[in-house]
Amino acid sequence: MDLSWDIVGQLAWTGLATSTYYALFAVAFALVLKVNQVWNFGQAGMMVLGYFALYTPLRLLGWPLPLALAFALLLTIAAALAIEWFAFRILRERNSSVLTFFIFTIALSQCAIYLGELIFGADPKTLFTRLISPVFLIGPVAISHWDLQALAITACLMSALAFFLRFTKDGQFLLAVADNPELAEIYGISSSRAYAIAMTIAAILVVAGMFLVGTRAPMYPATPLNQFLVLAVVATIMAGLGNVFAAGVVAVALGLLQSFSILVISSTWQILLVYALIFITILLFPKGIVIGGGTRRISRATTTDRLAASSPAMDDRP
Amino acid sequence: MIEYVYTIGILAGINVILASGFNLILGYGGLVSVAHPIFYAIGGYVSALLAQKLGTPIAASIIIGALISAATSVCVSLPSLRVSGDYLVIASLGFQLGLLHIINNVEITGAANGLTNIPSIVEGPHRNAIFCIVVWTAALVSVAAIRWLVSGDYGRAITAMRNDEDAFAALGRSALRIKVTLFAIGSGLAGLAGGLYAHFFLYLTPEQFGIFTSATLLTMVVVGGAATIRGPIFGAVLLTVLPEAIRFLDLPVVVMAPLQGVIFTFLIMLFLILRPQGLLGGRGGGGLEAWGRAAQGETALPREPVR
Repeated sequence: MDLSWDIVGQLAWTGLATSTYYALFAVAFALVLKVNQVWNFGQAGMMVLGYFALYTPLRLLGWPLPLALAFALLLTIAAALAIEWFAFRILRERNSSVLTFFIFTIALSQCAIYLGELIFGADPKTLFTRLISPVFLIGPVAISHWDLQALAITACLMSALAFFLRFTKDGQFLLAVADNPELAEIYGISSSRAYAIAMTIAAILVVAGMFLVGTRAPMYPATPLNQFLVLAVVATIMAGLGNVFAAGVVAVALGLLQSFSILVISSTWQILLVYALIFITILLFPKGIVIGGGTRRISRATTTDRLAASSPAMDDRP
Repeated sequence: MIEYVYTIGILAGINVILASGFNLILGYGGLVSVAHPIFYAIGGYVSALLAQKLGTPIAASIIIGALISAATSVCVSLPSLRVSGDYLVIASLGFQLGLLHIINNVEITGAANGLTNIPSIVEGPHRNAIFCIVVWTAALVSVAAIRWLVSGDYGRAITAMRNDEDAFAALGRSALRIKVTLFAIGSGLAGLAGGLYAHFFLYLTPEQFGIFTSATLLTMVVVGGAATIRGPIFGAVLLTVLPEAIRFLDLPVVVMAPLQGVIFTFLIMLFLILRPQGLLGGRGGGGLEAWGRAAQGETALPREPVR
């Protein structure tokens, strides 16, 4: 392929647009890992549920988009809360090992995939009959309405999450529980509530991501586990555990890398790049790539003490 | 009818080898890997290709296949276990998906159409009966070897590592070496099972080694009882025979496979919540709770790197 700036520009733009849903999935995964302290491989199951919760009303029942989105959000959030309440909470109270959490979440994702294949079939599906998005040119770069929509949705959700974590009490509670759940409980912060909120946020990000996936290309029920979750995990590790937004940034970088890899790897072998990245990450960046001058873990004392100082309710602590 | 019973018996024997090897990794080693089917695939494909393309004697092909599976598992587990045991799950998943993608797309393995015309290890009118004896002999030897491994001095070292890895390391013992060894032995057994499968069924396709097989193996170990000798044997026989009952419902293939998958994975989740010790793991007698007890106070985040 003759490399020109036109091609580079187009690949960069397409990679950026595609990486929007990678970023959403990575941030959702990293947030649950940070707050709930669970490698939630069950997120792939939530993705499958979110997708078919959009597919059913849109394609099978003919509902309008806003209603379908509301339905998918409600169903996926309910499932996320059920996972936290009926599984993670029980395993946590039992002091189950990491092993049990891993197996449970993987089985959960596999179960959702099989359920999807059983009900809807194993063939790829799209959320709309036609996936044609109007395109306009800025210089030599073709920009589709889908690209702009994906970037806008992702930017809005990321900004809202940043605002929530930084400026709301519940957001600060989430960080406090992520730092030290036992200490947070002593200060009157409900860790159960924080876990539920983190799962709810993850569900919202997952539904948004699956909406973007389904309005761009057909999806197999197994794709969320085979591709999206693997990429989210790689991004989370590379960003350094606990760096929620950095996971999103790394996911965008991986999306761009995948896009540019078309210059040297045929499309058949492109997916291998993601799998190879797992080993490269583990070998070269086991603790993650430091972004922004250091990992952004908030120290236990800092968050909890700041919360204690700002909240009169917490003065009742023993 | 008797040939059908022999075929189910052979499949059950192969599954006993697979599940017992997986139990060594998961139950005794406490290592989470979803990639066991890919070592099964490596053993099967290597053995089949050696016998088919190079004319290697079948018994030798099966042994070489098993050894290559074990060697490959070391290459996969060593980098991730050096950092954290928790990274093994993602490394194994990536390895499984990546290698399956390669098998699916290269000519020598028959790509998605599968590998056919694999030489048979036994010919003649009593092929199934003889093969059944061969497979069950291999299965019983494998189980006996695992039993010997986990009950002797080495078994005590495994338990010590499992109960307190830091204390174990403080005694100058290498947890990494034990983990890699268990992973290699378990994967080698999967390779052996793959070779036996290939030379009996004479046909291999990448679909047989995907996440469905991962889920099935997990079910066999978790439902039977992890970290017990009898549990995976019981689980393997049970989960080989049970789907045959569903088969008599005469459901279409597109329904059968996912239905089995739903049942198996649901069983895993149900057992993890309600009976984590499995059917044959009693109180204090194995099961994933053994790890839970050992991990009292441990969070789900990765521990410090294994040194």
